[in-house]
Order: sequence, then structure tokens, then C-alpha cells
Amino acid sequence: MTFGAELHVASRYLVGTRRWTPVVTVTLISVFGLGLGVFALVVTLALLDGFQSGIRSQIVAHAAHAEVWPTTGRRIEAPGNLASLLQSELGTVEIVQIVKGTCLVSSDTDAVPASVVGRSDTDRVTVDRILSRRLGVGVGDRLEVISARQRLTPMGPLPVRIRTEIARIASPRPGAESGEVVLPIEQAQRLLWGEPVIEAIELRDAEYPWSLGERARKVLDNNGVAVQVAGLEELHRPLLTALALERVMIFVAVGLMLVVAALNLLCNVAMVAAEKRKDLAVMAGLGFTPPSLRRLFLVLGLSIGLIGSVTGAVLGSGLAVVLDRTGALELPRGVFMVEAVPFSVDPMTVGLVVAVALGLAALAAWLPARMVARREPAEGLRYE
Amino acid sequence: MSDAGIMVKATGLTKGFGSGLTRLEVLDDLDIEVTTGEMLAVVGPSGVGKSTLLHLIGLLDRPEQGRIVLDGMQTDDLDPSARAGLRNSTIGFVFQHHHLLDELDALDNVALPLRISGEGSGLARDRAAELLEAVGLTDRSSHFPDQLSGGEQQRVSVARALAMRPKLLLADEPTGNLDRVNSERLFQLVTELHLKAGLTSIIVTHNEEMARRCNRIFRLAPRVESSENVRKI
Repeated sequence: MTFGAELHVASRYLVGTRRWTPVVTVTLISVFGLGLGVFALVVTLALLDGFQSGIRSQIVAHAAHAEVWPTTGRRIEAPGNLASLLQSELGTVEIVQIVKGTCLVSSDTDAVPASVVGRSDTDRVTVDRILSRRLGVGVGDRLEVISARQRLTPMGPLPVRIRTEIARIASPRPGAESGEVVLPIEQAQRLLWGEPVIEAIELRDAEYPWSLGERARKVLDNNGVAVQVAGLEELHRPLLTALALERVMIFVAVGLMLVVAALNLLCNVAMVAAEKRKDLAVMAGLGFTPPSLRRLFLVLGLSIGLIGSVTGAVLGSGLAVVLDRTGALELPRGVFMVEAVPFSVDPMTVGLVVAVALGLAALAAWLPARMVARREPAEGLRYE
Repeated sequence: MSDAGIMVKATGLTKGFGSGLTRLEVLDDLDIEVTTGEMLAVVGPSGVGKSTLLHLIGLLDRPEQGRIVLDGMQTDDLDPSARAGLRNSTIGFVFQHHHLLDELDALDNVALPLRISGEGSGLARDRAAELLEAVGLTDRSSHFPDQLSGGEQQRVSVARALAMRPKLLLADEPTGNLDRVNSERLFQLVTELHLKAGLTSIIVTHNEEMARRCNRIFRLAPRVESSENVRKI
């Protein structure tokens, strides 16, 4: 037995109806319900993806894509050799040597503890907005950075300190809460160690930032270098996990609309089964097997699901693209990183939503289909 | 005893509906035998179980007790799919209320059993067109059931019953909803096709005059049945 007869009858039930019946009305409501559920889910996830991809872009733009630090102790042995190895094996990767510590940073009016980072890729002093706000300083103002390290002087041990001028105010790192001052590496080494120590190496790859950590780890493992490596995912795990969790929760919450639509579809298919009871008995009499009858109802349910979900997906994706391109939903300036509500349509996500809708439609059709297939044909003829 | 030449052999058929005090015993230990090529009329008062008997023989329902052998094949142990396959390949049904599918035109209705058997659309429609020609409805092939008269609907139903070249034709009061002229035309058509196709036919009818034109009449009465030979057609 082939699938042709089931498809033929199902297609006639769906598009061959020649008069307006309650079944047609309820079928249209089912299509609308499922379409609306998919539409809402696609638009919501596009909105979420828009905001989340903005956050991810910020991370990629401002943070290290991978970081290497020693397995034991604080200093990396032979950092120059390590940097050369990574540069030669990873190609066009940007490599920055780092020292880090916590110091007291003071201006003319205030003093606060802050992170001090020495970087090999800068020759000027940068203060982030958090620190500049706390100290009330701006570009051109002078700062004093006081280390916990002490040096012996004729007057006894005194903390090491440097005086410097602020050259730039920068955005804080994603997720940063305490202020940060970035110094040229030599200044920071003098302040924190008193010798040319490197504590970490930062890597950046403009082309493949998310896989850089894994690639660097492979290179170092293959060359027997015992250091720790973290990629973007590890460096920002709490934030990325929160974003992923938010996505799942929104999917589940808005996806409940699909469940309600599927329940409506179940009622619709059950109603078709009741109204077409005689037809089904006749078809069974003509040779439709129970599996054929089940397939017929699955085709009906899936067809309704397909029409509704594809329509909803197309309309939802279209609306999200239009809103993103036109920037129609403006946001208050200065509050958000972007000027308009961003939308990002991910074809994989849309595919997943359609697949879930079709799965629910199949499930909704399965129950009445099972009921129909269990009946003896004579039951349908007898109760006409 | 050999069953050669026997198309239908049913023994000890028992069937009732409901349970307890509301149980209605319709058939009780009924035996019936129909020889190959025979045209048998089943008559009896309403509610006596004529349609139930036809449903049991046509494998549309299962007896509570008893055995049914169709064309030498024991049917009791067949699973639902095998029963459906046997209905499709061996049995043609004509129902009292035609039971055509409203969403299919006459041609597609007739072609449906062929499509169910796995026949391709083109061949199925060709065969359906031949059958519609045989019942005189070529010009109505693209009409839907609600665009056909009662007589035409029933002729389409006959054409559909013969689509798979069945060995056994079961007709449940095929003229029950037709006027006298159309009843006569339909009965003549069924008789002609019965002879032409070499069918074995069981026709449930209230029409005594038509019953007498069959080879044999099987009379069903509450708990009592009798059989009488009538004449050769």
C-alpha cells in the first residue's frame, strides 16, 4: 500500500471543500492559532537575539578572545617565546602581554581602590568610565597610582607610586563593576613587580574570535607548554550562561502559545474524525488499513501545522527584518547601547520553531488518528 | 467436507449489541453458505440483522462467535490490516446511502479503491472512466455527489464497488432510497454486471419482487432463518 491515497483524500479534505462547514471554520481557526503562536515566538526570539547579539558584539569588540596564564604561580616563564610560538602557529592573531593588580588610585579630591592593568599594546593611560566617575576626573587630569608593593627608602619602606596623566576615558569591560586603569606595560611592571614580569597573555582574532581559545589550547598542548587557556566562552561563562538561560526560558514561555494552539488543533482533528465518521468507515470498507487511516489524520494535522507555522514564520521573520532595518522602534538615547530595538532573525531558530510547531501538530493529530484507526468500519456505518 | 465452489461459508455466527439488560441479540448461531457465481437475496423485517450479516461477511465487523471463510480463506485470525487488504481486493460494497465521499468527484470516487491498492493515479482514473462508461455516467465523471441524482449516485457507487474486479459483491439495500424506475434500472445494472464480471453477489433488500429475481432468497427472521431456491437468472 502506498501513501498516495491518504495524501489524495487529505488534500481533498483540506482544499477540496466546496461548501462552508464547521470543520472549515475550525480548521481555519487552527491554522490561525498555530500561525499566531509561531509568529509570536519568531518575533520574540528575533528581538531577544537582536539584544543578545548586541551584547556578544560588545564582548568581542572590547574583551580578550582568549587568555593564557600560568598553571602555578603568577608569572609566565619565557613569555617572549610563548608569544612567538602563538604568533607563528595562529597566524594573524593579535597578542598582548599583561600584568594585573589592585592599587589605590587617587585624584586631587578622592582615592579609591581599582584594578590596574599593564598592557603591551598601549603607550598611554586609559581610565574607564566607572573610575573616572568615582574620582571625578577626565582626559588631561593627573592621577596617582599607589601600589601595595613597598620599596626601602632612607625614610623607611614606602609604597611604590607613579604619577601619570589620563589620556583617554574608555567604556568599562562588559560586566565590570570596579573601576580600571590601563597603563603601558613598563609602568605597570614597575608599579606591581619592580621587574619585567608577564602574568598573562591576551589573544584577539578578528576573524574567528569564538574558537580562538580552543585553537590556542591545541597549539600549546601540542608543544608541551603547561599553561592555562580560556576562550571567550570560559572568560564570560556567567554572562553567556545567563543569556542562554534567558533564551530557553523565553522559548518555553512563549512556546506555551504553541501548546494551546496544538490543543485547539487536537479538538479540530477530533471534530473532523467525528464529522467524517461515515466517510472513514466507507474508506475502511474500501480497503484503508488502520495505519492508512492514522496516516490520513497525521497528514491532515501536519498540513494544518505546516500551513500555520510556515505562514507564521514568514510573517514573523518579515516583520522582524523590517523593524530591524527601519529602526522603527526607537529607544531612549543614553539608556541603551543601541538607538532602536534590534532584531536578528536566525534561520536555525526559525527552523526550530517550525519543527516544534509541526511536532506538536503531529502529536495533536495522533490521538484522534489512533482513536479512528481502532474502530471497526461497521461502527461508522451503523451509527449513521 | 470440501469447500470448493463456495465463495462464502459462515458458521455459528453470533452477534449482538449492548450489554446486560439492554443487550440486543441480532444474530444467533447463524449458518450461511453462498456458492461461487450465485446471486443471493437476503430479506427480512427491519432490525432482524440483514445489514449486520452483510457487515460480518464483508469483514466490516467481527462476530462474537462463529467463523467466516471467504473464497476458501479463513478470516477469523486475520489482523485488521489483512482484513482491509482482503476487503480491497476481494469484496465490492454498495451501500444503501451510496456513501460516496463528498469531496471527490465521481471519477475520483470510483478510482479510490484502486488508489488504496497502490495503483497510480493515471491508471486508476482510466479504469474508473471505463467503469463510469459501463454504468452510463461518462458525462457525469467530473460531477461531485451533491451534483448527481440519487440514481446516479448509486450507479457511481456500483462502479466503485467493481473497481478492483472483486469476486464478491455485497449490496445493502442498494435500491432502498430510489424510486421505482431508478430501482429497476439499478437492479438491472447490478444483474448485468454480476453476470458479465462473474461475480458472487449478496443483496440485502426489502423488495420481494427483486429478491425473487435472484438465484436464491435467504430469509432472516428473529431467531429463525430459512432458505429457498427461486430461479436461475
